[in-house]
Amino acid sequence: MELHSDETIWYFFKKGEANGFSLLFKKYYPQLHVYGLKLSNDQELTEDCLQNFFIQLFEDRDKQNSINNLKAYLFVSFKRRLIKQLQKKQNNVPISEAQLFKANFTFSAEEISIHQEMQFLCTSTLANLINKLSPREKEVLYLKYYSEMKSSDIAEVMDMNYQSVLNVLQKALTKLRKSSENQQIKNILKKS
Amino acid sequence: MNEKNKYDLHYFLSDASFENWAKDTNKNDIAYWNNWIQNNTEHLETVENAKSIIIGISFNQEYPSNQKVNEALANVLPKVGLNVSKKSNFKKTRTLNNSIITAAAAVLLVLIGFTTYTYLNNNTTTIHKTNFGEIIDLKLPDGTSVVLNGNSKIWYDNENPRLINLIGEAYFKVKPIPSTKAKFWVITEDLKVEVLGTQFHVNTRKQKTNVVLDEGSIHLELANGDVTKMIPGEIVSFSNESKKLTHKKVDIETPYALWRGGTYTFNEIPLKEVMYNLETTYGVEVSYELDYLKELPISGGIPNQNLQICIAAIEKATGTRIINNDNILRVQENPIN
Repeated sequence: MELHSDETIWYFFKKGEANGFSLLFKKYYPQLHVYGLKLSNDQELTEDCLQNFFIQLFEDRDKQNSINNLKAYLFVSFKRRLIKQLQKKQNNVPISEAQLFKANFTFSAEEISIHQEMQFLCTSTLANLINKLSPREKEVLYLKYYSEMKSSDIAEVMDMNYQSVLNVLQKALTKLRKSSENQQIKNILKKS
Repeated sequence: MNEKNKYDLHYFLSDASFENWAKDTNKNDIAYWNNWIQNNTEHLETVENAKSIIIGISFNQEYPSNQKVNEALANVLPKVGLNVSKKSNFKKTRTLNNSIITAAAAVLLVLIGFTTYTYLNNNTTTIHKTNFGEIIDLKLPDGTSVVLNGNSKIWYDNENPRLINLIGEAYFKVKPIPSTKAKFWVITEDLKVEVLGTQFHVNTRKQKTNVVLDEGSIHLELANGDVTKMIPGEIVSFSNESKKLTHKKVDIETPYALWRGGTYTFNEIPLKEVMYNLETTYGVEVSYELDYLKELPISGGIPNQNLQICIAAIEKATGTRIINNDNILRVQENPIN
């Protein structure tokens, strides 16, 4: 059971109650923190940016009209802010999202567990295979299975339509399946 | 849209029973979809893709610790001008609060036995729940008393014991905290009740929420954003069907049903409404021998601690006979009348 719904939390946040601020912060700081770290690979910058993000969200709370989907809204607006900060750090050289994510959005073996279907793989191999995917594919996988977001929310965060989210997911998973099968064949050859 | 296009990824992904099949969790769904696939092999590729999307990748989520989050929060709160001194006071009393909760839980267990359970979930949430026909008196960590009627539930975050979620029916006597003017909130599906120090009653059953105010003043805010202020002696009802709010002053002429201190007080309320209260608090079923019996008016207080006493009081007030056959109540005319 969820303690307080997003709707309730947002209501108290908008009212300017300390309770509301704390509830929102505690629910979404951890998720946004990990997301920001994946995007930026820079802990100090992520934490500064995230705290300022909450401060500004609170100060602008009267400007927000109704928000249908709090989670997607927070992810997308935090991401925008973080990208700006990253660009600033690069001496304002315009840098595209794709360039930003090329280096980042990587996963370690510890972050992945293997379910039945891919039992023949070890976690570090699977992590490697995921890290080789395109930045967009990695972000969709991350939002879907790490942040446990609905596909329609991912569409909002990534500024894509719903059907493209499904297509990217499907393509990424097919790639993983194929490359893991290749890996399996390699393993068998090595053993013999 | 032709048949072929209908079975796209979205079609399978939005079907809960398909998800069960993919996760291998529900026997009926597994049998259904195995059979469906055998008869629709042309969709096999889409089915496989949908399945791999549902199964996906298992990540071990590693989020910052509670301590880290609290540190960051303590850092941010003063910057948005939210009361810092209150925050530090709060920290000091937190261990005290926890011991009160434990004490309350212990007292409750002694008082009401094991049918009602009060438990701490991850040490952050406290839940109080009653079964049919059970009423409990609770003292919240901030000193507020709550009487929780049967088949009802309240829950709250231990760090916010003045922000209460309610399903069912409860009577609140809120402890005012004049020094900080800390508010008290009750959240139901339909509305939020904002309180300083007061006594009031909330009932969320039967597709509507009723709030009755005894003392003090409270604000109600509906899910649609409408706000209304209540004065003592008023009853406010929100109907889930009509999405409308009605204000009434409780006086001798208004029909009302109030519940407090374990007693229901009715004023010119038809029998069927009274019996509905029994259905929700005791989990019984009610049937009527003749239709006109449903409309018999009742006035007066009916004790609500025990089904037998309750039935006897209603029989007396209406001049009917009520037969209890294994929790099925049958209302009949009294042959003696």
